[in-house]
Amino acid sequence: MFLRVIGRPLLAKVKQTTGIVGLDVVPNAREVLINLYTKTLKEIQAVPEDEGYRKAVESFTRHRLKVCQEEGDWEMIEKKLGCGQVEELIEEAQDELKLIEKMIEWDPWGVPDDYECEVIENDAPVPKHVPLHRPGPLPEEFYKTLEAVQSKNDAPAVNSGQTESKEKCLGHT
Amino acid sequence: MDNQSIFKYSWETLPKKWVKKMERSEHGNRSDTNSDYLFQLLCFLKLHTYTRVQVSIDICGVDHPSRKRRFEVVYNLLSTRYNSRIRVQTSADEVTRISPVVSLFPSAGRWEREVWDMFGVSSINHPDLRRISTDYGFEGHPLRKDLPLSGYVEVRYDDPEKRVVSEPIEMTQEFRYFDFASPWEQRSDR
Repeated sequence: MFLRVIGRPLLAKVKQTTGIVGLDVVPNAREVLINLYTKTLKEIQAVPEDEGYRKAVESFTRHRLKVCQEEGDWEMIEKKLGCGQVEELIEEAQDELKLIEKMIEWDPWGVPDDYECEVIENDAPVPKHVPLHRPGPLPEEFYKTLEAVQSKNDAPAVNSGQTESKEKCLGHT
Repeated sequence: MDNQSIFKYSWETLPKKWVKKMERSEHGNRSDTNSDYLFQLLCFLKLHTYTRVQVSIDICGVDHPSRKRRFEVVYNLLSTRYNSRIRVQTSADEVTRISPVVSLFPSAGRWEREVWDMFGVSSINHPDLRRISTDYGFEGHPLRKDLPLSGYVEVRYDDPEKRVVSEPIEMTQEFRYFDFASPWEQRSDR
């Protein structure tokens, strides 16, 4: 048993390079990520409860935190999340923290009484000779977050909402 | 399909105060905002994990002379992470000053200068607001609809003075308008 405890960290491969210019390899990526995610979850409490932003951030941060805590290896984390390299995840988490700080400062929550927003669904077909811009495949947890944000009105806790949405997603795809 | 999910996601997560109008179409997702919230909206789009738009492709303006706030400033943005594009629009007056987005998108410096030069929509606290495409002593903003196509001054090299002078325009032929809608009678005095 002790062999496994000692041997597993030693067996984990050392990352040589991220392959991205300007992004250095972070050797203790997992700890940094767990730190950042717990901090994010703490900061997001300052946002009012039924804002779509808060629901989205809580949903994906919790999912990523769970994956990071389960897997001990950066390679397994990357493969399971499907969101690019751990260094990129660190960058995203840092940016999200900065954003939460700024959102709390600006305080744009709440809908004014005379709010009207025009949503135009323009389905006019584009002529065939014009190249269409199609975004690439989005990571799985994006759809889970989307479901969590939209269907959170009835679900009591995030965990049940997530498992429900996971089943829904799997059922669809 | 992906376009639709991105649109739905941004509709749910963006704070409602910021967005005045949103359009989802194959031509490009567009969202309209008030000029007070412009910087905040762009900051959100840049930093949020699921809409990482970190490249600003273009900032341009449109002049609608019939509206009260006649200019519309359009920000075209690209997210390299998710390969998605989004357009953000604000409306502005001749005297409204928009907040510069240079701190978020360094490439926006030149675009903002161009919007200032061509339309006259200036920015508060812009680090470097100079003219970019017009001549050095040019007065007026060319892309506004009330400046005529040939302008008001013409330049010529004056030999006695040995420099280029600008003088009011003298055209030998009056402006001809060709309407190519009909392939037959093309009457230019219409």
